[in-house]
Amino acid sequence: MDLKATALLKLIYLEMVGHDMSWASFHVLEVMSSPKYHQKRVGYLGAVQSFRHDTEVLMLATNLLKKDLAATSPTVISLPIATLPHVITPSLALSTLADLLPRLNHSHANIRKKTLVTLYRLALVYPEALRAAWPKIKDRLMDPNEDPSVTAAIVNVVCELGSRRPKDFLPLAPRLFELLVDSGNNWMAIKLIKLFASLTPLEPRLVRKLLPPLTNIIRTTPAMSLLYECINGIIQGGILDSAEDVAGADEIATLCVNKLRGMIMINGDANLKYVALLAFNKIVLTHPHLVSQQEDVILECIDSSDITIRVQALNLVKGMVTSDNLVPVVSRLMKQLKSSLPSKDRRVPGSSANTPETESDDEAQTAITAPTVRDTQALLLPDDYRIDIIERILFMCSKDNYSSVLDFDWYIDVLTQLVRMSPVPRTFDADTGALLPTRQQVDVAEKVGDELRNVAVKVRAMRATAVRAADLILDQLLSENPVGHSLSSGALKSAIWIIGEYSIQLAMPDDSLNGLLQAIPRIGKPDILAVALHATAKVFSSIAGSELEPWTAERKSRISLLLARILDVLEPLALHPSLEVQERAVEFIELLKLTAEAVSGQPPSTDENHQEPPLLLTQAIPSLFTGWELNSVAVHAQKNVPLPEGLDLDEPIHGNLGRLLSQTDIVTLQSDEADDFEVYYHQRPPPSSISSSAPAITRLADPDDDTAGSYQQASEDSYLDADILARRKAERMEKNKDDPFYIPSDNILRTSTPIHNILQNNNGPALDIDSIPVMQLDLEKIGHTVAAPSRPRPQPRQRVVVATDETLEGSDSGTGRQYDSENSALPKARSKRSKQHSLLQVDSSTIGSFSLEGNPSEAFDYERQQREEAEMQQAMKEVERLRLEMQRANERIQMAQGADVQGVVIKKKTKKKAAAKKAAEGDENEGTKVKPKKKAKKAASQAVEGGGGGGGGGEDASAMQRVTIEDMNQDTTC
Amino acid sequence: MINAFLVFNGQGQPRLTKFYTQLDTSIQQRLISEIFTLVSNRPAGSCNFLPLPPLLAASSTSHTSTEEQSDVPSLVTYRHYATLYFIIISTTTESPLALIDLIQVYVEALDKLFENVCELDLIFNFETLHATLSEMIIGGVVIETSLDRIVAGVRAQGTVAKRPVNEGRSTIGSGMGIGGNFAWTGRV
Repeated sequence: MDLKATALLKLIYLEMVGHDMSWASFHVLEVMSSPKYHQKRVGYLGAVQSFRHDTEVLMLATNLLKKDLAATSPTVISLPIATLPHVITPSLALSTLADLLPRLNHSHANIRKKTLVTLYRLALVYPEALRAAWPKIKDRLMDPNEDPSVTAAIVNVVCELGSRRPKDFLPLAPRLFELLVDSGNNWMAIKLIKLFASLTPLEPRLVRKLLPPLTNIIRTTPAMSLLYECINGIIQGGILDSAEDVAGADEIATLCVNKLRGMIMINGDANLKYVALLAFNKIVLTHPHLVSQQEDVILECIDSSDITIRVQALNLVKGMVTSDNLVPVVSRLMKQLKSSLPSKDRRVPGSSANTPETESDDEAQTAITAPTVRDTQALLLPDDYRIDIIERILFMCSKDNYSSVLDFDWYIDVLTQLVRMSPVPRTFDADTGALLPTRQQVDVAEKVGDELRNVAVKVRAMRATAVRAADLILDQLLSENPVGHSLSSGALKSAIWIIGEYSIQLAMPDDSLNGLLQAIPRIGKPDILAVALHATAKVFSSIAGSELEPWTAERKSRISLLLARILDVLEPLALHPSLEVQERAVEFIELLKLTAEAVSGQPPSTDENHQEPPLLLTQAIPSLFTGWELNSVAVHAQKNVPLPEGLDLDEPIHGNLGRLLSQTDIVTLQSDEADDFEVYYHQRPPPSSISSSAPAITRLADPDDDTAGSYQQASEDSYLDADILARRKAERMEKNKDDPFYIPSDNILRTSTPIHNILQNNNGPALDIDSIPVMQLDLEKIGHTVAAPSRPRPQPRQRVVVATDETLEGSDSGTGRQYDSENSALPKARSKRSKQHSLLQVDSSTIGSFSLEGNPSEAFDYERQQREEAEMQQAMKEVERLRLEMQRANERIQMAQGADVQGVVIKKKTKKKAAAKKAAEGDENEGTKVKPKKKAKKAASQAVEGGGGGGGGGEDASAMQRVTIEDMNQDTTC
Repeated sequence: MINAFLVFNGQGQPRLTKFYTQLDTSIQQRLISEIFTLVSNRPAGSCNFLPLPPLLAASSTSHTSTEEQSDVPSLVTYRHYATLYFIIISTTTESPLALIDLIQVYVEALDKLFENVCELDLIFNFETLHATLSEMIIGGVVIETSLDRIVAGVRAQGTVAKRPVNEGRSTIGSGMGIGGNFAWTGRV
């Protein structure tokens, strides 16, 4: 046996290192049952470390546990007590509860406190245990002579329980308060304060009582942890909000904030910094102004080398950003992103800051060639962190419908930069190699793109800039990714959409179209492809659709060439597996073919013979895409659309739909295909235009008002000559020279491309690495400009109008928060995921189930419960005695009286009455024993009282219990 | 409550693992290695709190509100002594600073039991490690924080083994000992 115990000990060690030992569970049990203490201990250790819920031997262990719980030696007793929390199951809890309870009165304080914690764990899986144990635990707590360490343990347990169901512990408040003031045990005080923080919301009067001691502790305690918990308790308990006199509340708030500030400042103790930020994070929800006073120290923390502190500071910054500090805060973050980029390959996660600006390009180059196997692992965190930062930047800027953004030029530049810095989404989990579920690979780049799109839609004045930015993004993506690789950036979708939708404002539409056509064959995702198809058509229409330009031979040949190119690109897509793409491709191909015919059929105008360009080109195609402007719509607007009268969605559209459908199979296509397409597309402009059923050709003749309308707006840019545009650009560049986030467009394009080619040759498929040289270029610039701190803040508030979301009357929460639609989707998804995951995670499975089942939500008053139960038992005894008598009476009288009662009335009261009545009857019948009757009546009335006062499930439960017992009696009767 | 108490060395080899909920061995190992990656890459002078490892982070992220769910492990506290890392994973009901002190108490207790504790002691007497821990934490709840009582409790079990023979080794323990390197000293 000794050998076995030693072997087991070694096995346990191996288990710790990662070897499964579930096969040995029976041996564990064997050693557990050894009579020798030191062997037994090894056995129990084995059980703690290796037994799981599904370990079958557990059932066999029950008796052993019970036996050891009843042992005389305290050391032996504490073995099963310490083991039970690890192996507990509801059935095990049920069977060991009776053995554990007496241990609460054990003479050893050590056993007592271990037992009560074990009881708490029992209660988590088997809530009934708490009901039985609570009175005893409470007695222990109230006993002033109890060992202080037991009291502390009780407080710990109560604190755990109190965070879940504080209501039950309000009656304990006086005793707890006493402990807080008198004990002088810091550990316990911390727990008590935590407990009180969850009690105060329920009992506002506590606040007044708590405030003096807490303030006192804050002012006097030398222990930082206690100080922090006091502040935390004040914050969490809502004392800041609920203090009656405003002056007092202000005073305490200022005191707290000052102490916290001191904690951040204090000689660089990172832990205090961290907890202070945690506390600030809680205050910021209610008192943002107090926190924003501390902006300086908090911003310091953003640049901390410690990622935990940084994340906390980031959280905080999100809450306190205003239009005044947005730009500096975002620049800080951007700087961080940038400096983390080149370093990510060789640096460890979490230490991405502090990259010296002096690091040469060579270093980055060598890092690139370093083996990437290890890096994939190390990259995990910084990627997450970068995504986090980007999301936060977006959140801060777009908050309250961009109310904080003063300079949209700057913002668009930031977005452009962000697109480059967004990490490539991982489609593969680095650890397992398994495909992540689609929800998890949220592409930040896509969000940045969405943001750009939002700005383009909402801020009219900035549209031209946004379009330029989109163009830039497309160009850059094209040049960055090696030929043959698919373009995967999520920003592409929005960029392409912007290019298409606002193609009028494109500086060089030909180039953009060129870019689009290059991109289309390389786009992997069908949804982006579908957008790209549309955009191509839109850009084409804006290039070709000009009415004013004379229809010269040159123009004719140019357009037919263009058409041929587009058709060439589109044609392979007609067989695309994605239906949406296929449909759009087919439609456009047919339309463009038709156009090509028209173009070739229309002779060019010469000097003497003026020819109009084909109508299809100037009227039909542009009219497809111009119409009412697209505006952003509030999230909930759809909900507010009133249901039309008489709309019945269940009613079939056509009585004989099946026949109609089968007919369509037979019918040969007679009409001109183009017409179909035209009709289809003319249904898109809102119904205010021409009735949509009119054939396309009638529409061609109509002058299109809408077209004029939306051209007008954009006209400024479209008629500017190239040199004026260039001048404007130069002006802009001049203006933006100092802006760290302004990226000179042509410059980048020229410089980055060759380097990229080199890189592409060097390292092939490592996609994200390609972006480095661009960053390096910018980095220098940044370092340069930031070094000159005296940058004047030129931006006076730009006169831009940010369109609000369109919504319908009575929209509840729609206005101004359109942004929700994109960014709040994520937290929602997260929280959903968390529910899924928490089962897998370390804890919470047991406790999670507790909060469901362990909270029978009625506030049990355990004491009264107990009293009632005792009374009930007494009453039960009486009833039983009466019943026996009655039985005798029944036997004697031979009446079927019992049947009445058996017709089970569950209501206790009536039951009781019935019982009493019967007792009386029995009494009458027998003519003896007046006393029992009285007792029964008393019991009944007591029970009724109890029922009236206590209410709730416990009462019902006991009623049920009694009913069953009575039924049993009845059964025996019959 | 405390969800797990872990000790591993600078190479990531576990020296003590105690999970207060039942977990598969493989998941335990994954968690340990994730935490080790986090912890071993901390720059000097950073705070004793870790971001949640990916395995745990999936259940609660830093900026979604975790206030309601006090059940989910949300705090990873660590402390570094000589060659060893001590980790506590806990929920929000524990005070972060108190946990740091708790680790300190644990190490001090070991130090008292072994007289200048070092990593080898932990390997050869890992039963004592468990015994000490179970004098301090039962089922994830702290039951004792007084050094003397803990030591007395372990000694009462009478099992503090003598050291393995080679006395010649250097005691790293002096480095592991009582670190006064933290600002709050108001512990009990």
